[in-house]
Amino acid sequence: MGTSALAHHSRSMFDQTKQTTLVGSVKEFQWTNPHCWIQVLVPDPSNPGAEPVEWGVEMGAPVELMRKGWKPGSLNPGDKVTIVINPLRDGQHGGLVLSVTGPEGKIIGRPAETAK
Amino acid sequence: MTNIVRRIASRGVPLAIAAWLIAGCLFPVGGQTSSKERIKAFAKLPDWTGIWELDAFVGQADGQQFSAEGQRRLKEYAAALRPSFSSEYQAKYDEIRKKIEAAIAADPDHPPVTHDPLCAPPPFPATSTPGMYQWQVTPEEATFISTVGAVRHIYTDGRSHPPKDELWPTLMGDSIGHWEGDTLVVDTISTRKRLYMGELSGFFMPMSDQLHFTERVRMVNHDQMQIDYTVEDPVALAKPIHATIVHVRVTDFSRMVEETDCEQNERDPVVEGRFKTIVK
Repeated sequence: MGTSALAHHSRSMFDQTKQTTLVGSVKEFQWTNPHCWIQVLVPDPSNPGAEPVEWGVEMGAPVELMRKGWKPGSLNPGDKVTIVINPLRDGQHGGLVLSVTGPEGKIIGRPAETAK
Repeated sequence: MTNIVRRIASRGVPLAIAAWLIAGCLFPVGGQTSSKERIKAFAKLPDWTGIWELDAFVGQADGQQFSAEGQRRLKEYAAALRPSFSSEYQAKYDEIRKKIEAAIAADPDHPPVTHDPLCAPPPFPATSTPGMYQWQVTPEEATFISTVGAVRHIYTDGRSHPPKDELWPTLMGDSIGHWEGDTLVVDTISTRKRLYMGELSGFFMPMSDQLHFTERVRMVNHDQMQIDYTVEDPVALAKPIHATIVHVRVTDFSRMVEETDCEQNERDPVVEGRFKTIVK
């Protein structure tokens, strides 16, 4: 009997044994149901001339995020962020948010207890 | 009011008719008790105002990860809710579980849908879903509402369940209740033939049309409510399930905001029975 099912989908598409840290800038913050998403542009430090890679990272529903300290305007395009995720298993550039550190180096919201 | 009646009567309107007219204006809905009687009935009811959530969800993180304490509670709930099936229903359950396990093994990257429908209101009892809950308690009905779309009507006006030929399986079934002191005792039949307790039970457990729930709901203290469940099904279960669920008062938010709008930005759509995440 599983105990990890989300409200509306399983979270087993995310590899919970792995954590990936994304350092980049916000392209878009989607304050939407059923989940909020951050689209983040991540440059490759070893290849500064290359186009940054766009990642899509998933969070909870808006109300639940607001209860943890988020607001619809907590992130804006261009904001520098560091986001720790459990990446998608299938190799796409996406994941489940574990923690978000905002432009002033402050943690936004409530990070997962397992976040490194 | 007596003076008004006398005044109208003095103008030639028979007293009984005047009284009836005034009563009709003051208590316009036929068959209801007078407002004084209703106020007395309200005064006997417990105060369940506020917003509540399942204790296991307290401390959840941005990505909906449970706290260590939340995970501990979920394990306890899952153990309490584990059914002892009859041999017939154990076979049905094993078949469902095997199918799900085989589907996961075939493509672990894209989990199969194990419960449906994904964006419809959660089925009965809907008391262990994510989101927030609220009770509206009146002398005639207790209503349970959740931000993920559940609305349960529990009639406490002394009625019985409808006759069998007026019942059919529904998402919330048919609930009647009565008060034993400050405890609401709820009797529910005619739900769909399955048991689903959201986060607590994993996926739908097959049940028969004999499925019958009894819930005892009470406020344990100002910040905690408790629901004791008895789940009976003489066909599907070898013995009844007994479990207790705890709701705690939400103190970090003060309004109910619905969260059922899955169409707005669905980025984990189901493709051929599996979740396929859209990353951009």
